Amino acid sequence: MGDYSTNMYSPRAVSIVRTLPQISEHRLFQLKLEDGGTWDTFGHQPGQFIEVSLFGKGEAPISISSPPTRPDTLEICVRRTGKLTDALFELGKGSRLHIRGPYGKGFPLDRLKGNNLLLVAGGLGLAPLRSLLLYVLDRRDEFGDLILMYGTNSPDNVLFKYELLSFFDRDDIKYLYSVDRDEEGIWKQYVGVVTGLFDQATLSPDNTCAVLCGPPIMYRFVLEKLLNLGFSKDRIYMSLERMMKCGVGKCGHCAMGDKYCCTDGPVFNYAEIEHIKEAI
Amino acid sequence: MKTLAKKDLVDVLRYWTGHCTVMTPGRKSHDEIVFDEFDEATFTLDYRKPSLPPKSSCLPQSETIFQVDSGTYEPRISEAKVLLFGIRACDMTGILQSKSFMTADTDDVFYRARAENLATVVMACSGPQNETCFCTTTRSGPFSKQGFDLQFYDVGDSFLVEIGSDKGAVLASAKGFAEADDEAARKRVELFRHEAQGRIALLPEVSQAMERLERGGVSEELWDKFGSKCIVCGGCTYVCPTCTCFNVADRHSGNGGGERIRTWDACLYAGFTKEASGHNPRKTQGLRIKRRHEHKLLYYTDRDTHEGLCTCVGCGRCSDYCPVHIGTIEVVKAIAGEQS
Ligand SMILES: Cc1cc2nc3c(=O)[nH]c(=O)nc-3n(C[C@H](O)[C@H](O)[C@H](O)COP(=O)(O)OP(=O)(O)OC[C@H]3O[C@@H](n4cnc5c(N)ncnc54)[C@H](O)[C@@H]3O)c2cc1C
Ligand code: SF4
Ligand code: FES
Repeated sequence: MGDYSTNMYSPRAVSIVRTLPQISEHRLFQLKLEDGGTWDTFGHQPGQFIEVSLFGKGEAPISISSPPTRPDTLEICVRRTGKLTDALFELGKGSRLHIRGPYGKGFPLDRLKGNNLLLVAGGLGLAPLRSLLLYVLDRRDEFGDLILMYGTNSPDNVLFKYELLSFFDRDDIKYLYSVDRDEEGIWKQYVGVVTGLFDQATLSPDNTCAVLCGPPIMYRFVLEKLLNLGFSKDRIYMSLERMMKCGVGKCGHCAMGDKYCCTDGPVFNYAEIEHIKEAI
Repeated sequence: MKTLAKKDLVDVLRYWTGHCTVMTPGRKSHDEIVFDEFDEATFTLDYRKPSLPPKSSCLPQSETIFQVDSGTYEPRISEAKVLLFGIRACDMTGILQSKSFMTADTDDVFYRARAENLATVVMACSGPQNETCFCTTTRSGPFSKQGFDLQFYDVGDSFLVEIGSDKGAVLASAKGFAEADDEAARKRVELFRHEAQGRIALLPEVSQAMERLERGGVSEELWDKFGSKCIVCGGCTYVCPTCTCFNVADRHSGNGGGERIRTWDACLYAGFTKEASGHNPRKTQGLRIKRRHEHKLLYYTDRDTHEGLCTCVGCGRCSDYCPVHIGTIEVVKAIAGEQS
């Protein structure tokens, strides 16, 4: 008889400390371990994800939005779209849920250190990217210049609004944002797709790494822009979304070409996946 | 090497049932051959290629993986000891490949517990079981080279029995087995293998198709043509010994508890890759068929293939059962026949 006591599918109980409404249908959940300890022991890295379980509603992969440099809570930012996320929105402070993870390869910190960083987020893509953003701000001297470009479809849909506004007061991050449309004419910044922000930044492709997180359509346009600027493919990182069931390389749902998005990714550099047609 | 008289086989099977659940081929209603718990009344040695591979012995079509009760998830690890008698070499290779995929890197304990408590008795094939067998091409038959506990060679009134593991040695210590470790027995097995191999035609289109896939030389039209015929039944994945993709779902049983189950799934279904936003990175049925065949013929690792050529083990079942003729045989032939 073998040893079957370690089971990667067994979820552990955590509880909700706080829920913070974001924009419509988006909410931030702060989680704590049942034993009250800090999340140091969890061992998560920026860009990784967890599988959230609510019995009866199944499991869903959700990015970790907080960095390991802030181990008091684990934060997830959730968009309400279906069975599990609907049920999650019914839960409040003190409610229990189950998680397993952390999973996947996050952003390659060793590779990024010492480089200038260009972070490009679209919509909910800011959720995973925020773990890296805050990590860099917490360890600011380990990285070069930092530029964040964030695009949303309308002024009402800016996630982490107050956190982002505070960046205007800092001189160690350049924050550029755009909205696709501004029907009421209230937006003081750039109106148009996120690639339009590139005119406002000077980038040096040789010592800059670009990190992208957003919908597939954004990748296509931003990639084109970066390649035209002379970025080499292995300096462009992106986090990909796939339908995932297991998160650990077994169920097959997230497979694309020779890669499994859950274990080989979700963060890939462009050189690794360029040959996989369905990747982006 | 051991020998076992055919007339003693039923006694041996009966003896084994005292130690584990013994699965054997049986002739059931409508003459259907089914692998099922040993039953003397239906047991048969005249069974050719069973329609289903034995993969459900390690990955059941549906299984409870957690019993959930007041917020605790209790894993349900199988303790069943199962012996598969008479499986074919292609299916043995399928079990080896799937075991390696399911337990290497990240360890699926539900699978591993079943696989480690499994005993395998391979019945070497003396020739093709029907016209779709191509195991000599995929190097997965007609006899097994590794992984089995026992391997039987049918030599008339008796079997010559090869022992493949310690577990096999214990199984072959049952009453009825006799020592046959002589030159004549070895020569007999050599001849059996040689003749069997000679009877199963090679399918050169398999490696031609593999090379072409490697080069990226297969047209999208070819996949679209298959895609437009496919009726999306998913049957090819269910009868395939090496398809292991699964889905996970929860089943309530009142008062907040219930079961978390997993079931076979199929990459042929559109919902397999559809994300919550509605975006589907694998948009067309042609691309789904491409995925299935690339997974067998292009995206496999040496870690998982064992002695096989790829992760298709040449059983031919997808070609036997696909209602619209999109089996691996038809697909590799179409690829190899395409003008480059
Ligand atoms: C690596 C990764 C990170 C993610 N991070 C976040 C995040 O930070 N915030 C967020 O709100 N969403 C995130 N998502 C998307 C999120 O997983 C889906 O929105 C969620 O699964 C929807 O579940 P549901 O039950 O509410 O929806 P339903 O449509 O009712 O059910 C869909 C079911 O399909 C499965 N599923 C698995 N992966 C997906 C997927 N990608 N899309 C759709 N269904 C999926 C789940 O089992 C889910 O329960 C992420 C997805 C991935 C792959
Ligand atoms: S792909 Fe077809 S021939 Fe190959 S192992 Fe699977 S069912 Fe058998
Ligand atoms: S999510 Fe199951 S293999 Fe990646």
